[in-house]
Amino acid sequence: MSQATPHALGPEAISGKTTLTATPFVEPVVRSPTRALRCEARGIHKSFGQTRILKGVDLTIAEGSFAVLVGPSGCGKSTLLRLVAGLESADTGKILLANKDVTRLPPRDRDVAMVFQSYALYPHLTVRENLRFGLELRKTPAAEIASRIAEASAMLGLDALLDRLPKQLSGGQRQRVAMGRAIVRRPQIFLFDEPLSNLDAALRAEVRVEIRRLHDKLNATTLYVTHDQVEAMTLADTLWVLNGGTVEQSGAPLEVYERPRTAFVATFLGSPKMTMIEGVLTRENGRFFASGGGLHARVDDDRFGSHLEPGRSVTIGVRPHDLGLAKHGGDPVGELKVELVEALGSEAFAHGWLRASGPTFIARLSADDARSVHSGSVLPLSVAPSRVHLFDPHTGVALDA
Amino acid sequence: MILRLSPGRSRSPWAAFRFAAFASFIAAWVASSLGFASLAGCSEPPRGLVLWHAYRGAEQQALESVARDFTAQTGTLVTLLAVPYDAYAAKLEAAIPRDNGPDVFISPHERLGSYLANRLVVPANEAFPDSDLARYMQAATKAVSVEGRRYAVPLASKCVALYINPAILHTAPESLEELERLKGSLGPSVFPIAYEAQSVYFHAGILHAFGGQLFDGTTYAMVGPAAEQAASKARSLIASGVVPPEPSGDLVKQLFASGKAAAVISGPWLASDLGDSVPYRVVPLPRIESAANEKMRPFLTVDGAFITPLGDRKPEARQLARFLGSHESAITRRDVGKQDVATESAWSAASSDAPAAASGDGTGTGTASANANPPPPVATTAAMLAAFHAAASEAIPMPTSVAMRATWVPAEQALRKVLRGESAPKAALDEGLARYTDIMRPIGETPSGQAPSPLPIVFVIGLLLLAAAAYAVRRARQPYFAQELKASIPAYAYVAHSALTIFVLVVLPLFAGAALSFFAGTRESPRFVGFANYIEILSVRGRPVAEWLTHGSFYFTLAVTVLWTVVNIAAHVSIGLVLGTLLARPWLKLRAVYRVLLIVPWAVPSYVTALAWKGMFHRQFGAVNAILVACGVEPISWFAKFSTAFAANLATNIWLGFPFMMVVVMGALTSIPSDVLEAAAVDGATRGQTFRLVTLPLLKPTLLPAVVLGSVWTFNMFNVVFLVSSGEPDGATDILVSEAYRWAFARNAQLGYAAAYAVIIFGILALMTRTLGKLSPDKGAKT
Repeated sequence: MSQATPHALGPEAISGKTTLTATPFVEPVVRSPTRALRCEARGIHKSFGQTRILKGVDLTIAEGSFAVLVGPSGCGKSTLLRLVAGLESADTGKILLANKDVTRLPPRDRDVAMVFQSYALYPHLTVRENLRFGLELRKTPAAEIASRIAEASAMLGLDALLDRLPKQLSGGQRQRVAMGRAIVRRPQIFLFDEPLSNLDAALRAEVRVEIRRLHDKLNATTLYVTHDQVEAMTLADTLWVLNGGTVEQSGAPLEVYERPRTAFVATFLGSPKMTMIEGVLTRENGRFFASGGGLHARVDDDRFGSHLEPGRSVTIGVRPHDLGLAKHGGDPVGELKVELVEALGSEAFAHGWLRASGPTFIARLSADDARSVHSGSVLPLSVAPSRVHLFDPHTGVALDA
Repeated sequence: MILRLSPGRSRSPWAAFRFAAFASFIAAWVASSLGFASLAGCSEPPRGLVLWHAYRGAEQQALESVARDFTAQTGTLVTLLAVPYDAYAAKLEAAIPRDNGPDVFISPHERLGSYLANRLVVPANEAFPDSDLARYMQAATKAVSVEGRRYAVPLASKCVALYINPAILHTAPESLEELERLKGSLGPSVFPIAYEAQSVYFHAGILHAFGGQLFDGTTYAMVGPAAEQAASKARSLIASGVVPPEPSGDLVKQLFASGKAAAVISGPWLASDLGDSVPYRVVPLPRIESAANEKMRPFLTVDGAFITPLGDRKPEARQLARFLGSHESAITRRDVGKQDVATESAWSAASSDAPAAASGDGTGTGTASANANPPPPVATTAAMLAAFHAAASEAIPMPTSVAMRATWVPAEQALRKVLRGESAPKAALDEGLARYTDIMRPIGETPSGQAPSPLPIVFVIGLLLLAAAAYAVRRARQPYFAQELKASIPAYAYVAHSALTIFVLVVLPLFAGAALSFFAGTRESPRFVGFANYIEILSVRGRPVAEWLTHGSFYFTLAVTVLWTVVNIAAHVSIGLVLGTLLARPWLKLRAVYRVLLIVPWAVPSYVTALAWKGMFHRQFGAVNAILVACGVEPISWFAKFSTAFAANLATNIWLGFPFMMVVVMGALTSIPSDVLEAAAVDGATRGQTFRLVTLPLLKPTLLPAVVLGSVWTFNMFNVVFLVSSGEPDGATDILVSEAYRWAFARNAQLGYAAAYAVIIFGILALMTRTLGKLSPDKGAKT
């Protein structure tokens, strides 16, 4: 089940990433396709008492790349991170950092730096002493320590805070100090354990960008854990979706978004969630259609190939963003009786049925179009065939996997 | 139930009703309690004569029987009250002056001096008329007389005699040297004689044989050639192994019971302890050849029936006292109570009244055995009592003077010094006299004999009041003070009752104690002396400055106390830290078991622990020396040197004190977030470095109050120091509190002096607490 394929780091992924997150004053780093593997986990099994948390996980992170572990609570992502850090030990499996087997090594011999969810700053030390802590333990010369602290402080804007105690800092400032503490260490790999979950929404968005910028500047290898799919999508070079102790899919964010391998991955990424309805395949005029819940959409024959059979039951998945007004083009799929409209300012989502007492569909409308739509309106909808996803109704696996 | 004190709030009728109901409930409860109390008083049956005693068991039964006889004969009801011995004197002193106590009470005679000083007894007069002189033992009569007047009816006497083991000694030894010569021929671990050599009471036999005395009627008299010879003799007995070293009463009993001592010196109490299982025979104490063949003459204590001022008004009281000493009562008391009665007629008629002698071993009286073989020389109770009676005729009555009380401690200290071999008899005994003189020296007497003026005290108190007033004014001047005060009134209402209780129970006694410290003298004759007590203490009773750090001075004791506190706290905290950290680890599976085992030292009462440890440090029979010997090390005499005695105290107190620190540490450790420790681990710290650099600094805020508390408790740890080392050697390991205790209760009852000590200790601790409290500044105060 492992998806450790280097092609996830191919140029498409990189260019996709730069479209999403590149800012004018950060030079995109061009990487060669053959990159040394910085971190590898093979065949990890971990149980706590009777509960099996990780059930056979393989993970690879290439040098300098940003890998994000994402999944719902309890899926084992934090555990996997702690295993890489050395704070837990796996029942079976190996962990390699820069091709060195570190499975039996304690955290301090692994040369990793971790940013904790609760920042975990030393409460009795000032910011400067917090930053110094790890370096002093490794007997770094004082001049080196001073220069590294100055560098990190400049990078993160901590100059004014160096003599404060953690209890005198705000949440965002503490987060930056925690990152600074990791940065001065210059470790093999950075580990982030849901660092933004304790911040408010506005701050979260800001710090997210800072983290990515930092990563690019330092050319650092990073393993990042989050349950927030927006962070996952925006930060990752490689996305690893975990569910129930196993990796469901891994790859570049866009690829995982556009070609979900399982129903879980499909509904996990994207907000509002992909609408999943039970349906059946039909063939008309040599082309395949998927029908269900009032929806009647043409599917991409090339994509699904031999898996298409007329009469086969399938689960149809359509993202609200892909379901738009028919007048903008695309194949018509049905008429939506609008129940309610959610206006977000830049766009709006119309909730309704395509068929009486059928499942609810959500369609995206532009702000202008939404002005004339209200409860009770009838909207003809269309969706591009490439945006229709099909899954096996029993296993949840995509038909084109 | 909130008592609303702020006016102007609307009181709902329901609230008013509740208040009224609550108030009436309280009033009814108080009234009914008072009513019951008074009713109980009204319905008490008529008490007749009240007789107090401190007897138990057989003696109590005998007394009750005699009282019943008295009631049958005269028709006067007698109510007996048994009072525990330890509290007896205190209860008498508390009750009688308030017209509350007994009409007659039975007590050992040696307290007569203090009874007279406290006006607790009246002359016996009709209870002991001149015609009765021949009735009682001469020595007993002498004991209950002061300056020719008789104050009690002598009832029974107690003294020590020689118990011999009939299996080892077939005849009574003629002299002490005869017993000494037995050494070596008895077997390896058998002592020829055992007695509590360190107690002056038991040493008195030897002292009196050489012609010395403890108290000559006015002052301390255990000095001079006679006393020195006696002390040397006692030392030689121990040095030659004839007598076991460091013997306690229990040890003596055990040695005799297990056959490890051929003879012991003890009193009638040993017989009741031994019971029927151990054969013994009682004979009077032997002579001492080297003392010109003089007999060993022990102290005699006489139980007498005293009449109180309350009983003075009732002629029946004197009748009762006289009856208690009568022939019939004496027989009852001798046979049932097994007392060595002072009534001579009970002994002269012994052959006819005493039960059939012989057979059996130490069993009860009055059962003539069917198979009466010619008896081996084993004691029956009657024979034993007769033997004690014979010994009593040679005994010297204990002096009754109040000043006698202060002779014991210096005499014992001197004796122990000699027995330990630390100094020559002359030097030690002279030091004893010097100590006694020092203790008895009156404090604060101005040359002209007038009482010192209270001016300095008034001045100081005035200053303190001024300072308090200034502080109060400064607080009141702060903004919002009036509003805060008004808003706090409900809070004060909640707190009022407990504040009042604490004030009455804690603050008032504190002030009373401080007030007491301005007086000197004994309880019977206090004198106002102003600050003289404090000056005495701080100037080390007038000794030259060069001697201020020698042993016996306040500063020496202070230094010992500080050393004691510092070492103890250091040990407590380290052990508590180590164990607390160990127990906090999740993988220690038997954590619950370890927890209980470690809390046990904390839960067992400290005096029980102290006594147990004291036994373990005994030089000959203690567990610690046994372990040392098993490891091939020489046994240590733990209480002979300061360092080892201090170590013994230390070991006991550490065992007692570390669970508190351990529990504090365990609690504090749970407050350290685990991810901070994980961050340290990821940052590269070993477990030791994490502990030192992260855990310890985070524990400090919690440890500091624990350290302050622990310091105060250890500074005042009376139990351990008093019970384990008792200040041995020679008062060197005494800390300030035990020193204060001795001044109050062992050295001429200098209560004011001891109160001054207590105030000084309080001052030192208050200072220490403030200093330690200032040690925890907030580190982030830079911004």
